[in-house]
Amino acid sequence: MPVETVKETYTGKVREVVLGSGEGEVKVGGQTTMPFYTFEGDMPNKPKIAMEVYDETEEWSDWAKEPFADVIDDPPSWAKKCQDTYKTDMVTLQLRSTDPNGSNTSADDAAETTKKVLDAIDIPLIVMGSGNIEKDQEVLKKVAEVAHGKNIAIGPAQEDNYKAIAAAAMAYNHKVIAQSPVDINIAKQLNILITQLGVSADNIIMDPTTGALGYGLEYTYTIMERLRLAALQQNDDMTNMPIICDLGLETWKTKEAKVGVDEEPTWGDPKTRAITWEAVTANSLMMAGADILVMRHPEAIKLVRNIIDSLS
Amino acid sequence: MPKVTFLPDNITVEVAQGENLLRAAMAAEVHISATCGGRGVCGKCRVIVEDSEGWREGGLPSRANSKVEHDGNPQRQDPELGLISNSYGNLTEEEIQKGYRLACLCTVEGDVTVRIPVEARRGEREVLERLKEAAAYGVMLTEEDVASLVKGVTVDPAVKKVYLEVAKPDLANNADDLTRLRQAAKAAGYKELEVDFLTLTNLSEVLREQDFKVTATFLKDHHNLHLVRVEPGDTTKSNLGVAFDIGTTTLFVQLLDLNTGEALSSASDYNPQISFGEDVITRIIYSLKGDGLKKLQETATKAFMKLATEALEKAKRKSEEISLVSAAGNTTMAHLFLGVSPKNIRQEPYIPVVTHWPHIRPQEIGISNLASGSQVFMVPGRASYVGGDITAGVLASGMYNSDKLTLYIDVGTNGEIVLGNKEWLMTCACSAGPAFEGGSIKHGMRATIGAIEQVRINWEDHEPMILTIGNKPPAGLCGSGLIDSLAELFLAKVIDPRGKFHKNLETKRVREGKSGWEYVLAEKEMAATDYDITITEVDIDNLMRAKAAVYAGITTLLDNVGVGVDQVEEFFIAGGFGHYLELDKAIIIGMFPQIEGSKVKFLGNGSLMGARLAAISAEMADITHQIANKMTYLELSVDPAFMERYTAALFLPHTEVSRFPMVEKLMLQS
Repeated sequence: MPVETVKETYTGKVREVVLGSGEGEVKVGGQTTMPFYTFEGDMPNKPKIAMEVYDETEEWSDWAKEPFADVIDDPPSWAKKCQDTYKTDMVTLQLRSTDPNGSNTSADDAAETTKKVLDAIDIPLIVMGSGNIEKDQEVLKKVAEVAHGKNIAIGPAQEDNYKAIAAAAMAYNHKVIAQSPVDINIAKQLNILITQLGVSADNIIMDPTTGALGYGLEYTYTIMERLRLAALQQNDDMTNMPIICDLGLETWKTKEAKVGVDEEPTWGDPKTRAITWEAVTANSLMMAGADILVMRHPEAIKLVRNIIDSLS
Repeated sequence: MPKVTFLPDNITVEVAQGENLLRAAMAAEVHISATCGGRGVCGKCRVIVEDSEGWREGGLPSRANSKVEHDGNPQRQDPELGLISNSYGNLTEEEIQKGYRLACLCTVEGDVTVRIPVEARRGEREVLERLKEAAAYGVMLTEEDVASLVKGVTVDPAVKKVYLEVAKPDLANNADDLTRLRQAAKAAGYKELEVDFLTLTNLSEVLREQDFKVTATFLKDHHNLHLVRVEPGDTTKSNLGVAFDIGTTTLFVQLLDLNTGEALSSASDYNPQISFGEDVITRIIYSLKGDGLKKLQETATKAFMKLATEALEKAKRKSEEISLVSAAGNTTMAHLFLGVSPKNIRQEPYIPVVTHWPHIRPQEIGISNLASGSQVFMVPGRASYVGGDITAGVLASGMYNSDKLTLYIDVGTNGEIVLGNKEWLMTCACSAGPAFEGGSIKHGMRATIGAIEQVRINWEDHEPMILTIGNKPPAGLCGSGLIDSLAELFLAKVIDPRGKFHKNLETKRVREGKSGWEYVLAEKEMAATDYDITITEVDIDNLMRAKAAVYAGITTLLDNVGVGVDQVEEFFIAGGFGHYLELDKAIIIGMFPQIEGSKVKFLGNGSLMGARLAAISAEMADITHQIANKMTYLELSVDPAFMERYTAALFLPHTEVSRFPMVEKLMLQS
């Protein structure tokens, strides 16, 4: 007797969002099935890697800095290296230096950096502020302005500052990254609030907030899976945006990615450990439904690419 | 009933004769600007009388009561017209003659047609589609309705007074005084008495004071009959009871004639224990410190006596006539009233000292001036967070005896919910906070004179239309006014679905005040206060949390039983709202699921009603024990789904708007 494969059918579809402009356009989302379940539906766009570029790298370990040693003080060159050498799909510019509790560089400086990075690459750009509620409104407004016409994504837009950030994205035709604190209800509420401002639902990317492996990853995993099921099974048009996972930052600040042999002699080679940590985190989030993986290390990215290719 | 037609919308509404014209407009969902609460001061609610019953013969009266003629007919007096102006406020003579009136100062006596001039109207607004007549307000139950809810309740209190003529002793009948009293009682049908010792100390004088004619007070306690008091003469007419609702935020007292079951008077006030903490948890913590418990108890018993005295004065009766107090409160309030430590109610596994209380002598808890031998009956509770107030409400609603699947919701400082019928009852409690009773709200107040109880906000210019209890200058907002405000601010897009103000509106009513962003409902010139009456973003946050807790509680209970909202056949909503809690407004804010208005009954203070029934009927008092035992308690604090449902409900109306088709439709209109 032949075995019949049990298949789920879905009525919903993840929104397809286009980032970048001209030749460099990249599409994300658009699937009608759970991640890589291509026997149940379509997955027109594979998950995309958005390599990180920082405007500040204090406290980075040597093995984190290693691949970028030649470009680490120059974000535009760094971005170009990610594009040309590591063939990343997109670049994420992390504006850490704007944090008022840190270097507190100005919004104008951030805009200047953004402009230079945009000039250096052809692929799409994502710009993430420091996460400071007040400062991000100012910084991302300027960033949106200088990036006019480039169709970038800006974020994170949170519950308490989404109005200003979404308005800036809307004014200059960019995408907005809606960040919720690992909470399915707030994720949906934020999407509703942003669309009520007049932003098209097709211009929103969801950031459910990422925990690294061992640091709450399972919470994010569940939320992402449920968001995706709501989109596919219930045809919920306020949870069917593509999902971005800002995991590089989260992974590389864990103890497991940072400490050396001197502190933890039994934990093995720190570089391999850190890369594996990032790759496992990224892979798990991809299985939960991530459409864009914000990652740091080229070796980790290589591992994740292998998985993407072998699954699709 | 007279018909009132509002032009230019051409909306007609039937109202009771004597209804205020502004209230008629509110009922018809016609917006007329009004900010002074309806006392003719703001002068905004101008209407032009177009036609009025009696007009043809009468013509319009003027301020000078003068020579104005219409159709050549002589002037007639106001009362014969469809509309009576009790005063013309600040209108000019010319305006009056043109037919201008202030809606808030007019009463409807017959059919009338009025036009709302452009300046009072401002901004079209589609008529809110009511859920049908009954739906808009639910059904507010009358005293008779409540009596009929509990089938077959007859006045037969546990404490009864019986007039007895005791045989006089002589040398032939030389039995002792008590024996002869027993004989007289037996002849009257009161056998096998347990005698309270205290009745004997002065029995000889009492018997002889009015020639062996006495009134005996009997207490029926389960299977025993106690003799608790003997008075000289016939005092059977003076047998009073007090129903007492011990709310966390509000106290209610009702004085009852135990012979007839009638309510003679009532009184209410905030619970003065509030100064020791707004919720039960903070009060429990206070009770653990030093003589905290004693202080809390004294505060409660003093407050009881104050309210009882007020009610007695209103009814011109005396405290010595009170022989029974029937009290219902949540478990913590009951403990604190009786001076029993509520310590373990706070900590897992949440254990109260007692849920089924024995009969208590008022003297034992520091209440001394009631009748000697009087009793305190406490309506039993189910658990630490489902107390006697809920048992009482279930009794009053009659759901314990109903074939219909019924949902009982008591919206107080704690929201308690009971689902079931005569076969089974299931209950849970969620902490809503005191917002619906006006607590923790900047300009919140109880539903008393001057409280803003109805609010409309124009969708275009964001001007309010408010009505106060008693048409008096606004003094603050009560629960129904708060629910209305939240719904209206949301529909008028003054706040977003998270309850945050849109700050770029072209209106002076939204402003940044000392306590953050706020909406001005009434300027101080219009109010009874020397400050503007506002609703702040913090108030809105508190309301959002309260409504989210209630909704999450309802849905968690329904889901646990596996019942959909549509399957519930009857809803009882209890709580200290004003007279005008509008069901559809409570649905718009997502406090209640979208339910059919015809299934909803507003019970008012269910706890007080139940306490009253238990006072006037010993059988009902017994039934409270059965109800408390029958309720299955669901502990929400250990239900992980509750928290998530709560977060989902912290949105207007709800994160899943599709659960509220009516609101979805309204949002598209607005």
